[in-house]
Amino acid sequence: MADLPILLLNSFSYILVLILVAMGLVIIFGLMGVINMAHGEFFLLGAYTVVMTDSLGIGFWPGLILAPIIVGLVGLALEYFCIRFLYDRVLDTILATWGVSIAIKQLIIIFFGPAGLMVNPPLPQLVNMGLIEYPAYRLFIMLASLSVIGFTFFIFLKTDMGLAARAVIANRNMAASLGINTRQIYRNTFTFGSALAGLAGAIMAPLMSCDPQMGLGFFIPAFLAILVGGTGSLSGILAGGMVVGGSDSIISYLFSPVSSQIVVFTLAVIVIRIKPQGILGTKRNE
Amino acid sequence: MLNITNLHASYGGSRILQGVNLQVAQGQIMALMGRNGMGKTTLMRTIMGLLRPSSGHIIFDGKPIQGRQSYKISSDGIGYVPQGREIFGDFTVAENLRLGALKFDRKNRDIPEEIFDYFPILAQRQDQLAGSFSGGEQQMLAIARALVGRPKLLLLDEPSEGIQPSIVDEIGQILKKINSEAGLTILIVEQNVDMVLEIADNFSFMEKGIIVHNCPVQEIKADESIITGYISV
Repeated sequence: MADLPILLLNSFSYILVLILVAMGLVIIFGLMGVINMAHGEFFLLGAYTVVMTDSLGIGFWPGLILAPIIVGLVGLALEYFCIRFLYDRVLDTILATWGVSIAIKQLIIIFFGPAGLMVNPPLPQLVNMGLIEYPAYRLFIMLASLSVIGFTFFIFLKTDMGLAARAVIANRNMAASLGINTRQIYRNTFTFGSALAGLAGAIMAPLMSCDPQMGLGFFIPAFLAILVGGTGSLSGILAGGMVVGGSDSIISYLFSPVSSQIVVFTLAVIVIRIKPQGILGTKRNE
Repeated sequence: MLNITNLHASYGGSRILQGVNLQVAQGQIMALMGRNGMGKTTLMRTIMGLLRPSSGHIIFDGKPIQGRQSYKISSDGIGYVPQGREIFGDFTVAENLRLGALKFDRKNRDIPEEIFDYFPILAQRQDQLAGSFSGGEQQMLAIARALVGRPKLLLLDEPSEGIQPSIVDEIGQILKKINSEAGLTILIVEQNVDMVLEIADNFSFMEKGIIVHNCPVQEIKADESIITGYISV
């Protein structure tokens, strides 16, 4: 029964990456009320950054560093040229970011073609873990994701920048009256959230066939994770990520990916029915 | 210090401020009184930049501030304690206070000792969640949070609302003390007549979006019917 630990480890690494994606999404939503439909494409851009560095012969690791930087800058540009004009217009931001997501996908097709591309495995060796042998790269994923999740929590809970961001989330007008530049907070946060998606895309690239549709495969579960976990606090996303990511990966292994989709969606509906604010959600006070 | 001329502002489609003229001199405590719905809170929000005036001027410290963004007005030196206090209930007392200092450079963000001299209760309970405080304690926190930003002018919107009378007295005394010791100018909207008679130097009365009467406190002490004429229904 060596399968079980592998299954658990696999689903754990999936959960962590999902949390990375969802965290960017929830920070942006929680702070600005913007549902960023292009978040999946930020993931995509991160993955293709790695595809690019790999095919240019400089390998995976520079791509992993470059991805959050490039995607962060793309997020910054999107905020500056588009989103900032649409705050408080939820439907318009959905339409605008959806348009951006289509544009990014098509750009990727123009430059890289529609076919799936593979990245050379950066850490091909297996690690002997007693009972089982496990891919070193997946262990790296867990370590990297955990550090970035921890880093994000640290920023938000322990630094002045995070305190200001949480204050803007809780009560924007009061935060502004205390001298906090809310627009600057929005811009920084949008950039940071985008960079997280880019990093997650880069991390996942070597495990997937990279194609222009891959963003959606993470955007939807990340979105569900937010609905299930609640938007009020950052910790909600941990619970949501575990419920959605865990059940998704385990059921698709035991049965099929299709049945896991059905179960995950049903589960999300039930949770939202019972706790509309999400598992750890709190009401926003405007 | 604060000079408002012919200020107009609308909120939710209705014209609330219809030509407000108001002067607050350096170092004084000015009480702004009037019945509910006369535009007192709207005036405070407009001064603070939370509402854009449709016309008129707000000169603070010799500089026009109407239409500026709230965070800049805060940095100009106006502190704001809104109606309902609006403390951050999920944050600790220390975090609430620190928020008042975030507009300064990193090395100037320490909470001044005087704050805890004025409000000793905050010193002992810095790690407590602000939401667990009583109404009066939250009000003290909201005032302290504004003071951390070292304002030249403090706007207070109904600080006595929903607070037990003994604490209202205490808050009034603290405000008077800060005013006389630190020279802080205060514009206070208040319904509690006893409290403002105790602390205010001057009174302005608001009716239907304009200031209808100004007078020093002595005039009201001589004839309290002036107040009842403007605030009782």
